[in-house]
Amino acid sequence: MSLKHKTYIRKKIVVTFFLCCTVFLLLCGRLVYLMVVRSEYYTGAAKELHERERKIKAARGRIIDSTGAVLADNRTVCTISVIHNQITEPEKVVKILAEELGLSEEYVAKRVEKYSAIERIKSNVDKATGDKIREYDLDGVKVDEDYKRYYPYESLASKVLGFTGGDNQGIIGLEVIYEEYLKGKEGTILTVTDAKGVEIAEAGEERIEPENGNDLYVSLDINIQSYATQLAMQAMETKEADSVSILVMNPQNGEILAMVNVPEFNLNEPYTLPEGTAEPANQEEKQNLLNQMWRNGCINDTYEPGSTFKIITAAAGLESGAVTVNDKFSCPGYVMVEDRKIRCHKVSGHGAENFVQGTMNSCNPVFVTVGMRIGAERYYDYFKQFGLLTKTGVDLPGEAGTIMHKKEDIGAVELATVSFGQSFQITPIQLATTVSSIVNGGRRVTPHFGVKVVDSEGNVKETLQYGVQNNIVSAETSETMRYILEQVVENGSGKNGYVEGYRIGGKTATSQTLPRGSGRYISSFLGFAPADNPQVLAVAIINNPQGVYYGGQIAAPIVRQLFENILPYLEGIDYNT
Amino acid sequence: MAGIRAEIRAGRRTQTRAEQTRRKQAENFFDYSMLFIVLFLLGFGLVMIYSTSSYSAAMQHDGDSAFFLKRQAMATVIGLFAMIVVANIPYHFWERFATLAYIGSAALIPMVLVPGLRYTANGASRWIKVGPLTIQPAEVAKLGMILFLASLVCKMGKGIRTTKGFFTVLCMPLPICLMIWKITNNLSSAIIVFGIAALMLFVSSPEYKKFIIMGVAGIVGVIALVFLIKGISVSDDMGFRFARILAWLDPEAYANGKGFQTLQALYAIGSGGILGKGLGQSMQKLGFLPEAQNDMIFSIICEELGLFGGIAIILMFLLLIWRFMVIANNASDLFGALLVVGVMGHVAIQVILNIAVVTNTIPNTGISLPFISYGGSAVLFLLIEIGLVLSVARGIRLKDM
Repeated sequence: MSLKHKTYIRKKIVVTFFLCCTVFLLLCGRLVYLMVVRSEYYTGAAKELHERERKIKAARGRIIDSTGAVLADNRTVCTISVIHNQITEPEKVVKILAEELGLSEEYVAKRVEKYSAIERIKSNVDKATGDKIREYDLDGVKVDEDYKRYYPYESLASKVLGFTGGDNQGIIGLEVIYEEYLKGKEGTILTVTDAKGVEIAEAGEERIEPENGNDLYVSLDINIQSYATQLAMQAMETKEADSVSILVMNPQNGEILAMVNVPEFNLNEPYTLPEGTAEPANQEEKQNLLNQMWRNGCINDTYEPGSTFKIITAAAGLESGAVTVNDKFSCPGYVMVEDRKIRCHKVSGHGAENFVQGTMNSCNPVFVTVGMRIGAERYYDYFKQFGLLTKTGVDLPGEAGTIMHKKEDIGAVELATVSFGQSFQITPIQLATTVSSIVNGGRRVTPHFGVKVVDSEGNVKETLQYGVQNNIVSAETSETMRYILEQVVENGSGKNGYVEGYRIGGKTATSQTLPRGSGRYISSFLGFAPADNPQVLAVAIINNPQGVYYGGQIAAPIVRQLFENILPYLEGIDYNT
Repeated sequence: MAGIRAEIRAGRRTQTRAEQTRRKQAENFFDYSMLFIVLFLLGFGLVMIYSTSSYSAAMQHDGDSAFFLKRQAMATVIGLFAMIVVANIPYHFWERFATLAYIGSAALIPMVLVPGLRYTANGASRWIKVGPLTIQPAEVAKLGMILFLASLVCKMGKGIRTTKGFFTVLCMPLPICLMIWKITNNLSSAIIVFGIAALMLFVSSPEYKKFIIMGVAGIVGVIALVFLIKGISVSDDMGFRFARILAWLDPEAYANGKGFQTLQALYAIGSGGILGKGLGQSMQKLGFLPEAQNDMIFSIICEELGLFGGIAIILMFLLLIWRFMVIANNASDLFGALLVVGVMGHVAIQVILNIAVVTNTIPNTGISLPFISYGGSAVLFLLIEIGLVLSVARGIRLKDM
């Protein structure tokens, strides 16, 4: 029974062997494909699986005012975590952590006993507490330092500065606009871990250092801002107003020195609603209330400017030649526009007056007449030329646009109302900017806060540049306007804005809010000084004052008090530094 | 191992001494090359078991990083002892137990259902426990099937050439396969047993046509099935049952389910690259790849030793199969030849399926890598099979070669 008789069996065994060879060869091919062609892909995927990234937060850049005061800073806080595998005395750890952090022992014990790579016990812990815990030198307890945004002046300029969220990202205000400069670059610690997330000691760690954010220097002046806030608070309280805004800027270059919107809110607790607010029913309602609280009235809200807008009508009239300073007018207490009777605020009428006197009296018939002389189309073109249809470009988020009639919809009545500042809406910053360009010789500047960006070593990284548009009005018109507006304060309706020893220009306004007849008013005053060469321009707006509501009576004194204090102060400041 | 080598050397010395007195025996053959390959694979396997399991062993077994290594080394020593015993018994001795082996395998499989004997690991009840020993009946069945079929074909003589004979041999393993599949829920072992039987039938039958038809039909059937599953799965909840197939086609889409182990194996293999990360440097064995020391050990070999290491191991297996071929072709009788063919089938099928699974060439199913994967029963019975092959080899007279 020797095998030799069955040669086919031998043959088949050989066939089997070569079949195996073929299959093995195919498998080797498969291995080559996986380990050479696809190697890079799988190596990357495996690396991603094995490496754990721990973020190192970068310190956010500070916000510093023109006097060098730090308005937004960072505070070191600690995050306390435990690593289960490294804990040797669990009872002691639970006891100490619960005590130091003010947590219940059950809460801490649950986390200490949990089998995980790293378990966070509490974040945003004071540095002092963190240091104290570190001193206990407990095995398996980690104290990581972290940065938290901190605003030393709490509510000062809250709606301008804005605040940051949980990831240190800007939520509103300058913190949003300058996010790119301020935020810096997070660093990372790459560690190799096993499947349970336990770090493998021998593998070492790869560390990419964080890059700290750049400091932002702003034009705000903490002294002016503080004083303006005080004045605004006072006015809001005495006049029982809803809100008061004060805007102070340099009309020559657009730098904003103060922007106050009372009530302000505490930047260190931006999610706490003002005291006395009814508990919101749901999250959505709370968010609405918060958004309301965070609104910056100078920029986010529009209003009917009223008589302060007569400055624009006057400039357009002078520029177009429709009116000259000495043109004679007569005010009977009203003016007829088509079939509508538009009243002057002085029911008995101002009688005979020239254009300067008309402005000093803030006489509506005079400005309606001037508006009519300019004509709807030309008036609209000036409106556009002055930049009123475009946003000012201020470096804050959410600037509201102008609400204006369409050019083709402007009839005689619309033209008449626009001429004295009604039936359309602009933002306070728009008014301030436009008036700045009219009184500064015809240059439309971009209002702004940001001045320069300085890196963490103190080197200036960037000096921020802003656009200027020339020839908004001619130099003559600008000069004439300065003269007229100085007259308004010297002898006219704005005399409450007068500051002894200084030349002040300005214009008052009292506008009834929509719907008419509601008894709600907005009183405002715009003033600038020195009248012959304006260096500072201020707008005060009181929203819904009770009792006396005339701008000349209640808003002008605010600007006067402001100027009384800041004009001597500004004279002492050299702007070139 | 050194002890065994010494023993073998000693055996050789007695042989050389006996040469002078009994010439006939001196002409007998002993396959040292095969033994060397097996010992190499065993030794290499122990190194890799330590490498793959030490980290998780230390975590699971109170810092005893050699837990799996010690158990496997014990099984290997017992296996080598069994191998030597079997190698020294003329293989015809076993022929009388052929039917008993068949019945015994069949009887042993349902034992996994007996609560007192059952032993469960990794959620599968595939073992029976007798004292300190756990035995996997499927491993016994593989050996039993080789012995039974070799004997059956010899008894049939020319009967194998008839259709009746052909189908008798084809059908005899089916009940065992079905039992392994259904009772121990171990499809892969069932496939291996059937594969061994099919190979033995292929070798013992002069036919080619039937096998080619069967092979082509099988391949076409599998491809059709895959397309069918791919088609219905998208909409049907039947897709759940075929998740393993779908995970095979796109493991990344099932990364957290059926595709997880495969994907982890691919990460290991792919990240090894051409030269590997170096022995002991695998990352995937740190808990990422489940069963790293078991069915998936080849992927860690690839990760640590690279493409060169992987191909070297494949070559070692090819050499082993080549030795099996040489021994089978020179066996002094058909029974011996068929025993060797059975062992050859067993080893070849497991190696091929294991590497195919690990490289995601076929759907994932639990098949261990012979001599290397962790598993006591497997190594014990494989070494008994090697003993049988050595015994067959000793029956070869040198002048016949």
